[in-house]
Amino acid sequence: MGSYVAALIVAGLSAVSIGWQRTRRRRAQARWQAHIVSLEAHVQRASSERDAIHAAELARLGSEADAREGGLHAALEQARGEADAARAALASAQAEIEYWRADAARLASEAQRLRGLSATFERWHEQMSSLMTQNHDMHQKNQELSAIVSHVLIVSLNASIEAARAGAAGRGFSIVASEVRTLASRSQALSKSYQDSLDRNDLITTATFQDIQAGGKMIVASLGTLGTLAAQLQSKLEQAAA
Amino acid sequence: MISAHAKESFDRIFRQAARTRLVTVPGGVCEIRPLSDLAPGEAGLADTHRVAVLTISSLSFRLLIALHFGDDPATRGYFAGTGEARQHADAFMEVANLCSGAINQALVDYFPDLGMSTPYVLTNGSVAHWRELRAQHTAFYALAIDTTVKLAATLCVCANAPIDFVAHGTPVEGTSGELELF
Repeated sequence: MGSYVAALIVAGLSAVSIGWQRTRRRRAQARWQAHIVSLEAHVQRASSERDAIHAAELARLGSEADAREGGLHAALEQARGEADAARAALASAQAEIEYWRADAARLASEAQRLRGLSATFERWHEQMSSLMTQNHDMHQKNQELSAIVSHVLIVSLNASIEAARAGAAGRGFSIVASEVRTLASRSQALSKSYQDSLDRNDLITTATFQDIQAGGKMIVASLGTLGTLAAQLQSKLEQAAA
Repeated sequence: MISAHAKESFDRIFRQAARTRLVTVPGGVCEIRPLSDLAPGEAGLADTHRVAVLTISSLSFRLLIALHFGDDPATRGYFAGTGEARQHADAFMEVANLCSGAINQALVDYFPDLGMSTPYVLTNGSVAHWRELRAQHTAFYALAIDTTVKLAATLCVCANAPIDFVAHGTPVEGTSGELELF
């Protein structure tokens, strides 16, 4: 009996224990269920928030992309405009270079042509030589004239002496001899003056001609330098145009 | 019109050219003495001597260089050896041309556009009329090469614009190969 009661008690205790454990398990399950629901709600909220953020981000990125695209279009248009302007400027510069190159070529050609001036200077040289030869000839003729005049002077002196020897008969002849001596003296003075003029003429002619000759060489040298510079400019412009 | 500096520079350039180009024998010395007027007699030259004339022209002036030379045995022997009178004049013209070339070379540093004439021989009587050139600056010199060869020189500068420059002491190589400074 006692064992039966004890068995009942144990069985009762076991049943109570099992019931308590079931109750505890149910409570735990309920708590877990509530927690899961809470978590699911949290996840749902998080998901909604994430979606909202994502959508906002997408909207912002889309807006930025649109703005950037617009900027790029504007920049492209500007670059296109600048490229067109640059092309036009290049074409204009090339046309200008071509114009300058033609000018430089004309300048070089003109400088080359003007170097032919040396032929003109040579002609002046020949004329100057001819003039100096003529002056030299006049010097010689004047010297000859001077020698004749000196001789006439001596002859007139001799005539005067002879007229004096002839006495009264030679008086008329003495007058003629004196006149001849006077004329010879005047001729001698004139010859000296003429010699002086020829000398002065020689200096002025020589100095003038030499100035022309040296000036001509200076001009030809300057034209040579100008021609070289023009050719260099032409070459540079051709290189720039190429 | 021609500044004092320019006159001094012409003087220095001429002296340097004369010392380096008129001396044709190595080791020779050219003494240069200024004269107050054209007086070839003071330089030891006869009245009948001749003159080699050259001109250097620029845009602003012309420089006439007259080198007086006699026909005495010392001068003839120095420049033409045993040559005839004609050869003597030709030989002296060559030397005068070298001297003028040295002046031209020195001046081109200051006047880039220069030209030089060929030499021409005149009588002393012609050069006596130098006043006819109406030069703004004239200088006269008596020259003696190794004390025996007597020469004279006349420089006439006719300017058509103000001239002012200072010739620096650039060394110029002489015919003897030695360098001189002025």
